[in-house]
Amino acid sequence: METAVTRSARNRLLTTGTTTWLGYRRLVPSVVVEGLQKSYGPLRAVDGVTFAVERGEVFALLGPNGAGKTTSIEILEGFRHRDGGRVEVLGVDPGDRRVQRAFRTRIGVVLQELAVEEYFTVRQVLTRSAGFYPSPRPVDEVIDLIGLAEKADAKVKTLSGGQQRRLDVGLGIVGRPELLFLDEPTTGLDPAGRRVSWDLVRQLADEGTTVLLTSHYMDEVEALASRVVVIAQGRVVASGTPASIGGRDVSEATITFAVPDGVTVADVPVPATERAGQVEVRTADEVAVLHRLTGWALDRGVALGGLRVNRRTLEDVYLDLVGDRPAVEEGS
Amino acid sequence: MTGDGDGLLDLRLVARQVRYEQLAFWLNRLGAIFTVGFSVVFLVFLGVSAGTSRVKSLGNIKLIQYYVPGFVAYGVMAACFTTLAIQLVNRRETGLLKRLRLSPLPTWVLLAAIFVSTAVIALVQVVILLVIGRLGFGVHPPTHWGVFVLILAVGIFSFTALGVAISTVIPNQDAAGPVTSIVFFVLLFLSGLWFPITPNSGLAHFAAWFPISHFINAVFASFGHGNRVWSWNDFLVLAIWGVAGVVVALRRFEWAPRRK
Repeated sequence: METAVTRSARNRLLTTGTTTWLGYRRLVPSVVVEGLQKSYGPLRAVDGVTFAVERGEVFALLGPNGAGKTTSIEILEGFRHRDGGRVEVLGVDPGDRRVQRAFRTRIGVVLQELAVEEYFTVRQVLTRSAGFYPSPRPVDEVIDLIGLAEKADAKVKTLSGGQQRRLDVGLGIVGRPELLFLDEPTTGLDPAGRRVSWDLVRQLADEGTTVLLTSHYMDEVEALASRVVVIAQGRVVASGTPASIGGRDVSEATITFAVPDGVTVADVPVPATERAGQVEVRTADEVAVLHRLTGWALDRGVALGGLRVNRRTLEDVYLDLVGDRPAVEEGS
Repeated sequence: MTGDGDGLLDLRLVARQVRYEQLAFWLNRLGAIFTVGFSVVFLVFLGVSAGTSRVKSLGNIKLIQYYVPGFVAYGVMAACFTTLAIQLVNRRETGLLKRLRLSPLPTWVLLAAIFVSTAVIALVQVVILLVIGRLGFGVHPPTHWGVFVLILAVGIFSFTALGVAISTVIPNQDAAGPVTSIVFFVLLFLSGLWFPITPNSGLAHFAAWFPISHFINAVFASFGHGNRVWSWNDFLVLAIWGVAGVVVALRRFEWAPRRK
């Protein structure tokens, strides 16, 4: 058990000077949330959410609109007060006003929309924000990192949607945060813009920045996050790695291939169904089934066009998890 | 809340933030022209159309002598009330206030910078209007500078407070312009900006409930027209509205966008 004395000593270590706590870094999780509660009137927006984020990890909060993702994030940022539960971010309680200013030098926030005056230039916007922090990244370094070197002196309003989004990330990281909050970082971006943002997140994670992101894109979570918590109606409905969440790794696989010429689905040597010109075989033991199928195909001299083995996608799992829990009417 | 901050460093932060507030205002050309240009255009048009008309109820002074103090007051109100309120709603709804709130910039530094910057914009207008009055229409500057400076200070305080207060009751960006403009221009009209109101008339009594006529009257008095230079009543009503504005602002101010 941790005593009050050791805890206050640790908080002191964490909040004073970089040299002392660097060695301490790995021991303390970036974020600890236990039984978090927040209501808006009768609506329980967050109802007992519990999770922890390790240092240097990319962690995702996944859930439909109105699930309580943004409210949870805002409580962790110290922007909103909680009704109950324990929250510790970078070793301190973000709701504690006495530590708030020091706390805010250590976090970075990327909001859902780029919120800057559009007639400022990229450099002006970043320089202004850099001035808020004790040891910011050099502005030119940030500009390079977000790939806007050619647009450094262009006005914000002349940037494309993707470029504005990258500037937003730049504002989030200019203060050299230990923990970066990314609220739906790629909503509204084209595929190329998403890739650039993803690369940036990976790069930050490689540098040791802890990243807590919310998203409702499954592919994004799969591409970026090492762990994920699925929230619906203010509760955690599943947690784990993107590959294993919801029993994804142990569930049935589906084998599909085009119906071969001169063969009907009844000829296939394993139980199969046909759908839209495709043979579908569902099995928990895909190795054995594939062995029989390919053996049969070689014997009969037929092709298995477009042969694929699919596990349930993260999206399938996600929809199963949240599907029978329609989004709350209020706040969605 | 700022116990860990260094006082001198924080003042430097205020100065730095004021610079960015000023940059934000003047770089937004349309907004700047709308704010500063309006008072200038109004004064010049009214001054030209007034010609040599005189106001009997005010000691037979020239109408333009009434308009110059009136538009000095207008300039302050436009900057502190209308422009500030619209800007705050825009900043709240676009997430700019939230972003600043999530940065280590202390809240008081931000609010101080907004206040100082608004005052600067108001004073720039005052100077421009006084110069136009003097050079364009031969209207002499205030004769009682002490009173003039004091009433400007109280006016800037009160209308800034009211600007913040009204921004907290406006739900979204679309409503910001119309709501503030309607409130502002109706009260300006009733308070005698465009034409002097007959003293002791029903309209004068009605307008006396609101801060605008008191502000215009007090600025007017500091120019040495009329039979008094100083009125406790004008200062008091203006200050009470200012304090009410502060109370509403403190109770209702929000950082996060209202829209969902």
